[in-house]
Amino acid sequence: MEYLYTIIVMMALYVILASSFDFVIGHGGLISIAHPIFYALGAYASALLAKDLHWPIVLAIPAGAVVAMVASVLVALPALRVSGDYLLIASIGFQLGVIEAIKNLDWTGGAGGLSNIPGVSITQGHGPYVIAVVLIAIATVALLRFVAHSPYGRAISALRDDEPAFIALGRNAMHMKIGIFALGSAIAGLAGGLYAHYFRFLSADQFGIMQSAALLTMVVVGGMRSIWGPVLGAIVLEALPQALTFLNLPPSILGPLQGILFTGLVLIFMFFRPQGLIVAGDVWTGRRNAKEAAHVRRA
Amino acid sequence: MQTDRTSLPLSRRTLLGGLGAAGVALRIGAPGIARAADKLSFGLAMPLTGSQATYGQDQVRATRWAIEAINKAGGVDGRPLEAIILDTQADPQVGIQAVNRLISVDHVPIFVTAWSEVVKAVAPIANDSKTLELSVGANAPAVAKLGEYVYTTFPLADVDVAAVARYAATTLHKKRAAVLFINNETGIGSAQVYRKSFTGAGGTVVGYEAYDPKATDWTGQILKLRGANPDVVHIQGLVADTPQIIAQMRQLGMNQTISSYSAIYNPGLIQKLGAAANGVIATSLAPGASDSPAVKAYVERWVKEVGRQPNGLPYTQYLHDTPYLVADIYKGMLAKKMAMTGANARTEMLAIGTFQLPLTGKLVINPNHTVDKPVYLMEVVNGAWKQIAVVG
Repeated sequence: MEYLYTIIVMMALYVILASSFDFVIGHGGLISIAHPIFYALGAYASALLAKDLHWPIVLAIPAGAVVAMVASVLVALPALRVSGDYLLIASIGFQLGVIEAIKNLDWTGGAGGLSNIPGVSITQGHGPYVIAVVLIAIATVALLRFVAHSPYGRAISALRDDEPAFIALGRNAMHMKIGIFALGSAIAGLAGGLYAHYFRFLSADQFGIMQSAALLTMVVVGGMRSIWGPVLGAIVLEALPQALTFLNLPPSILGPLQGILFTGLVLIFMFFRPQGLIVAGDVWTGRRNAKEAAHVRRA
Repeated sequence: MQTDRTSLPLSRRTLLGGLGAAGVALRIGAPGIARAADKLSFGLAMPLTGSQATYGQDQVRATRWAIEAINKAGGVDGRPLEAIILDTQADPQVGIQAVNRLISVDHVPIFVTAWSEVVKAVAPIANDSKTLELSVGANAPAVAKLGEYVYTTFPLADVDVAAVARYAATTLHKKRAAVLFINNETGIGSAQVYRKSFTGAGGTVVGYEAYDPKATDWTGQILKLRGANPDVVHIQGLVADTPQIIAQMRQLGMNQTISSYSAIYNPGLIQKLGAAANGVIATSLAPGASDSPAVKAYVERWVKEVGRQPNGLPYTQYLHDTPYLVADIYKGMLAKKMAMTGANARTEMLAIGTFQLPLTGKLVINPNHTVDKPVYLMEVVNGAWKQIAVVG
């Protein structure tokens, strides 16, 4: 049962991460691949608050999300002021820098990792925690769907598709970009806290570029800018490596297969289905407006 | 901007079908891992793929040989012993999933794993589920403090790194040491042990530099250490990077005595470095082919069947001996009619305390979660490893 719980928790966490990453990169059009570092900040902040300051887990986890959100604003403020591409550079720099800092500080556990993180133990039962994580994943998807389809979501689409026109209408592009980045990062931080108190061990290397590549693959394979695409991408790409282990393949086959799984999928989807498994809906005008527009055109 | 909705969107039915297929995929093979009722199983979570696979695969091969030999000799009171082997990629997250599967799907009372970060990451699972975790190969001192159900059968850095530090200070009369260590769990803890032991033996540590695990160039650290003018340089790195570091040190004019630990004690170091390997001191925590006929036969089997010596010979010796240790524990449990649980396995292991193992000799498991073993100090002399001392 515990094995199943672990897979469910990881799937739910990746649903949260992929959905929030898609919100930043897909809906918001903000080019950043440093999403895992906000996941890390949430995880470490929540773990340290619970471990060293004895905060209850239910408070430490949202506090981790707040830390991730504040950090994202601090990164985005100077980077977005110049130009969109600078966010990519600044966020990667921030990701690598924070990982190095974590690895070289004693109070974060250093390169050896942070252990003895307070959490729910098997004897207490992981079931309720697993259900909570799944519910948070569902709530996250619902929240992002709500935002994407709200007037604010339509404004996000307008900003992404034509920033000069958006500014010309008197809207503040900078505030909106920071808002998108902060919301996506806060959700990643929340996932980090949930991870830390379930697995009770953190290592800085878990949150590096490889993690960025995995999240990007989930979004691309699932379907960027579609609400259900990242959900499907996260579930499939988390289940697939587990399913492979049950095939009991020899290491000489399993190793290369695992190695090419993610990159191979990205290449296949780039060539044969660039829109991903689930095609993005027309968020900009909303489903009803799109239908009405089509009806008008036909008429 | 309009998105083309006609470009093969997935229907809800297709989506549900796909999810169903994924579910089926997860179930495929589950019956295949079902075990015969009379088999006695233990888990083996090692890196079979990834950067550490070269070593993990050799260690697993050694374990398999031992299990074959045990079963050929009648098993454990007539019951066959089996290892359920899963890949960790030496990655904590993958290790957690592997160990969760071993405990909750395969219900093993004992599992064996290695690589410090993995050992550390899975420790809470072992403690919570009361499953005996045996760390075989991780040498970070922190391994002894991971909880009630985590034990090592491999001496921690306190044993061999401390021995080589004291040997340098007292026997070789080196007064100034420099330490170059990898910035991970293995390196940090062991470097601290070296510094403490060398200083305690009357020497001074004049240089203390860490390097990133992904580094491919160490010029900066080496030049800093060269400036400190040490008599001896201790390298606490990985099997893969230590030969490159030594080569770079020699190229940069550092001809001081170099010491390291058991990871570099293998023929590969000499093959890679050639004459530059001469004078390098390493430790071995298991007897060599010249010390034991059993080890000699074991190495000969490697050469005969695999065409080479194993990567990290002493580590494979420990992994080879682990099934014997597990078999002794299970035998004791069966004799006392104990239920096959992790808690009982731990109790029986501590009750036995001392194990006689074929390739590594006597093993005493201390109540403080450490083991004591003699340290074999090895030096490269004229292109071959030569034993120079046995300490402890």
